[in-house]
Amino acid sequence: MDLTWPEKPTLIGTKVPRLDGLAKASGRAKYPSDQLPEGTLFAVMLYSPHAHAKIKTLDVKPAQGMPGVKGVVAIAKEGATLRYQGDDVAAVAAVTEEQARDAARAIKVEYEVLPHVVTEPQAMAPGAPEIVKGGNVRKGRSQDKGKADEELAKADVVVEGKYALPVITHVCLEPHGLTAKWEAADKLTVWSSTQAVQVVAGELAEAFQIPVANVTVLTDYMGGGFGSKFGADVWGRTAAELAKSTGKPVKLFLDRIQEHLAAGNRPSATGTLKLGASKDGKLVGLIAETHGTGGSRGGSNFPLPYVYDVPASSRSHSDVFVNGGGARAMRAPGHPQGCALMEAAMDDLAEKLGIDPVQLRLMNLPPNDPRTPIYEAEVKIGAELIGWTANRKPRGKNGDGPIRKGYGVALHQWGGGGTRDKKVSCTITADGTVELKSATQDLGTGIRTVLAIIAAEVLGLKPTDVVSNIGNSTFPPGQASGGSTTTASMAPPCLDAATKARDALFAKIAPALGATPADLSLKGGRLLIEGKPSISWKDACRKLGTASISEMGATPEGLASTGVGGCQFAEVVVDVETGVVRVKKIVAVQDSGLIIDRLTWDSQVYGGGIMGLNYGLFEERIMDPTTGVMLNPDMELYKLAGATDVPEIVLHAYEPDDQKARGVIGIGEPPTIGTAAAIGNAVSNAIGVRVPEWPMSPRNVLNALAAASKDQEGKA
Amino acid sequence: MNAFDFAAPTTVEDAVKLLGVPDAEALSGGTDLLGRLKDYASSPKRVVYLKDVKALAGISGDATDGLTIGAGTRLADVLADKAVKESYPALWQATLEVGTPQIRNMATVGGNLLQRPRCWYYRAGNGLLAVKDGKSLVREGDNRYHAIFETDGDALFVNPSSLAVPLIALGAKAVVAGPRGERTIAVEDLYQIPKSGKDSELTLAPGEVVTKLVLPPAKGLNASYEARQKQAHDWPIVLASVNLNLDDHKVASSRIVVYGVAPIPWRSKAAEEALAGKLLNPESAAAAAAASIAAAKPLSMNAYKVGLTQTVVKRALMVAMGNRYWEG
Amino acid sequence: MRKHDPKNGEEPGGASRRDFLRGSGLAAASAVLTGAATTALDEARAADDGPKVLSGEVEITLKVNGEDRKTTVEPRSTLLDTLRNRLDVTGPKRVCDRASCGACTAIVDGDPVYSCTTLAVTCQGKTIETVESFDVGEQGVPHAFHQNDGLMCGYCTPGFVTACKALLDKNPNPTLDEVRRGLDGNICRCGTYIGVLQAALDAAKAMKGA
Repeated sequence: MDLTWPEKPTLIGTKVPRLDGLAKASGRAKYPSDQLPEGTLFAVMLYSPHAHAKIKTLDVKPAQGMPGVKGVVAIAKEGATLRYQGDDVAAVAAVTEEQARDAARAIKVEYEVLPHVVTEPQAMAPGAPEIVKGGNVRKGRSQDKGKADEELAKADVVVEGKYALPVITHVCLEPHGLTAKWEAADKLTVWSSTQAVQVVAGELAEAFQIPVANVTVLTDYMGGGFGSKFGADVWGRTAAELAKSTGKPVKLFLDRIQEHLAAGNRPSATGTLKLGASKDGKLVGLIAETHGTGGSRGGSNFPLPYVYDVPASSRSHSDVFVNGGGARAMRAPGHPQGCALMEAAMDDLAEKLGIDPVQLRLMNLPPNDPRTPIYEAEVKIGAELIGWTANRKPRGKNGDGPIRKGYGVALHQWGGGGTRDKKVSCTITADGTVELKSATQDLGTGIRTVLAIIAAEVLGLKPTDVVSNIGNSTFPPGQASGGSTTTASMAPPCLDAATKARDALFAKIAPALGATPADLSLKGGRLLIEGKPSISWKDACRKLGTASISEMGATPEGLASTGVGGCQFAEVVVDVETGVVRVKKIVAVQDSGLIIDRLTWDSQVYGGGIMGLNYGLFEERIMDPTTGVMLNPDMELYKLAGATDVPEIVLHAYEPDDQKARGVIGIGEPPTIGTAAAIGNAVSNAIGVRVPEWPMSPRNVLNALAAASKDQEGKA
Repeated sequence: MNAFDFAAPTTVEDAVKLLGVPDAEALSGGTDLLGRLKDYASSPKRVVYLKDVKALAGISGDATDGLTIGAGTRLADVLADKAVKESYPALWQATLEVGTPQIRNMATVGGNLLQRPRCWYYRAGNGLLAVKDGKSLVREGDNRYHAIFETDGDALFVNPSSLAVPLIALGAKAVVAGPRGERTIAVEDLYQIPKSGKDSELTLAPGEVVTKLVLPPAKGLNASYEARQKQAHDWPIVLASVNLNLDDHKVASSRIVVYGVAPIPWRSKAAEEALAGKLLNPESAAAAAAASIAAAKPLSMNAYKVGLTQTVVKRALMVAMGNRYWEG
Repeated sequence: MRKHDPKNGEEPGGASRRDFLRGSGLAAASAVLTGAATTALDEARAADDGPKVLSGEVEITLKVNGEDRKTTVEPRSTLLDTLRNRLDVTGPKRVCDRASCGACTAIVDGDPVYSCTTLAVTCQGKTIETVESFDVGEQGVPHAFHQNDGLMCGYCTPGFVTACKALLDKNPNPTLDEVRRGLDGNICRCGTYIGVLQAALDAAKAMKGA
């Protein structure tokens, strides 16, 4: 019989506190950056102070003679070109961290400073220094569907708008890095802050030419990744190299400045969008010219058109190269940008058409798309929860006092789903222990607990009865945590493993109980024979004697799926005299198939909204055109919400039976996509003027208001 | 952070001695100094810890006779003081909005007054004026948080002390101990606009320590209002403090001081003059606020601060009148 | 608990760096500014007529979670780096390292402070409490964070729990707004604030039941 999710679960879908929650909340959880094996040396990176420079000479000798220094390694070679402030130059390991910092600064580097471009206007200016061969602007091929220009020419209403979102950085609270310890000449253990223990293991094995089986990557806990922590990186390899050369464990984690500069970012997005519709609100065409920068690497493209059915579109995107750290995947890569641009244009179009923005969206959902009925249901729920009809006033009709209230909406989508090649092992021993093992890792999403819930559901136990061991690269293959794929990849093999283990247990002990395996079941910590409570779980396991059960779960069909929608609404108040925006309420309606742990699911959706609020109101990487450095590589002028900035957030898990039947999908990314878009739309609804640049800072809001009033004066 | 020698005197006399050498810096709460040390914006040879000087901490006096606040008094203790809260709301409100609970447990009044500018060019190691190859990095770069007044010179940073603003508005004096004894100066005289890269924005001589702040008796009305991007931990973009002495409902004298707009705490004489002799009401407040920005010369990216300053000055005056019109 | 003692590193020039009291005959006395040694130092000061200056390496004793812990630091060593790197007290985390994010929050003499921005040498003779010392039972703050899922990656959590504990110690009946204000010195990147705020309110109730 095909394996299915239990029809009447007792644990799945309930709120289960995470297994490691108390360890984390009491400071007992040891993160990779907390590891301090006996004799650990502290390593510090030296990185480029210049946005663009050639290393003329690099002399590490002065560092070698410094107090406490045990090892120095040059990462960049003489003659090498450094492409951004924060690019790796060298590293030092010393007895104390203070000594290592001194020694890193003692390394003598002679730089030939090269011309730089660090902002998009700088990079795109005529005569700008070319920092990559072929020019700083790489225009992609236009993606065309139909004849957008002809459709727009025929359209009843066309809006044209320019919208822009800045580069933001991941700001993982635990910096990138690892602690490395060589157990033998060819045997390495590392404690790595990573989203992919097995990728890190592979990378280190290759770097040191040792079998991957000899590398153990441990990540019991990790302090945030958001898409930026998939590899060992230069820093990790350098730490292992220093550990090898010094014969001591070496701990190397980036400082906050380099973390901002070099450890990934979400590309910017700027776009001029021309969107047209018939007068009854049916979209007819979109012409979009967009650009963005992923730093020195490119990769700034994003989906557009987004969500809605646009019969004819023409889209061209240019990657702009600047002397900045390379972009990395960041929580729903590309989607928050595409969503913000599309939804801003949709709102501006709704305004011009005189159609309610919610109605305009519902009118233009793609026909024959399985998401469409889901969106329709979700938008209805969301609109009710925010009080859209009762509270929302047309754009700019929110009174003439200093404080204006506004409402905005945005729809989003994500793939999610899982891979089919991952494994979970389930071992049951005679003392009643149930141990799950898999080489995945918990970024804070709760996968450790999710696996325990599934096994406990199958075995009639409590989640806390299950030992859920992950975060070890030597365990059975586990999913790298990205793309909202972890749960959808790991939950099916976990269900399979636990089910097989249960069946194997039944087969083993049934004869001793005078029953057949088919007579046995498990519930509430007890074995049931023909539905009647019999011995306890522990007593049942005791019958294994010296044997134990160990089963490997694979991925049966039909337990996971892909593709989610979702919508968010925002209520804001804007003080038009100060430009200060406060978000008062966020409503998030989200589908994601079958929910395993409702408590950690809620946390993901709350957290997605708050990360989206940061994108909407606060975050921007600020680069200095003259010196080429980042001006706010901190957590103060790089602004992130604190408790008082966080609004009421109302969640709705859209989970009717047909959604549950889809199996698990994944929730990490979708709930952060639409928030900044919804906030931007709420602000323009409140003040009657589009604020074209995110974040919705007092400066951007006041500038938009000033530009609008100048416009008015010009017309008058 | 470079290594330094460290001393923790217990008397003002010893502190003055220890600070009277070149390259010595005073440490109180550390919330400014440690950041500068870590950024290598400052690298003193000696750090002198002042929090063991018990004589520097504490609040005495009252609103009738005037209040004396030790320079080593923590901001948390200023907030807990009944006289400050009831009679010097301009100071209380500005203190409440400084930093975070942790910072207010660490930082002292003296440290707040004498902290160095937060200009990101200065903090990145370009010197106080951030002039490179004859060019002003601030003028040519990102100056969204910089000055809008006195911008003809090279000093374009803004004074970072949000307590200087209410203290100057309240007419407070600073008592300064130094190698040559004690002197008492107006709080505004702690600051100057540096004319060259060699000048400091602070007027204290080596070895001088601010020991206390003396506030005159509280008369009339005083209030502060600030605008900031985040409601949790953030710096004000603009903050204004006002202190008004009324005579028959008319403004006999006033002080209006603004943070975030100039290299010194900016006393707006223009606003004060506009208010002089006028009945205190929303119209006169608006007129004073309009006057406060007449001399503004914003930089390339901070024109938004001009209107914001007007609003913040107006609102500080409105708070003094008990009219928080924007709260509906 | 293992202790990381930088002096085991036999670094070159170590001896001269340990000559930390220049021009003074008070090396032993002023190295440990606690208890009897403080008295000795005060007496010596009176006799010596002049403030003393520490430099190089300094042996200090810190009272951490009720235990006297002896270690060697430099005057520039922060309390945070001393706790984490030298005393293996890793509850407080290093995140911003600039008094902005609160992950390093420790309670010193009853007040929550940023340990990343506090020098270890200034903490001698003071009581230092970190998250590791808190009640992990049902009446404690950590339990409330756990039950409300006031954490995800968990790296900010010790700082939040510490700030929360300090807040509730001073204000056992906070309003929601007071909780927000009390926790404004901490930043969470995963966005767990909703759970955190509820945890603080629940902990306030639970602590009263204690």
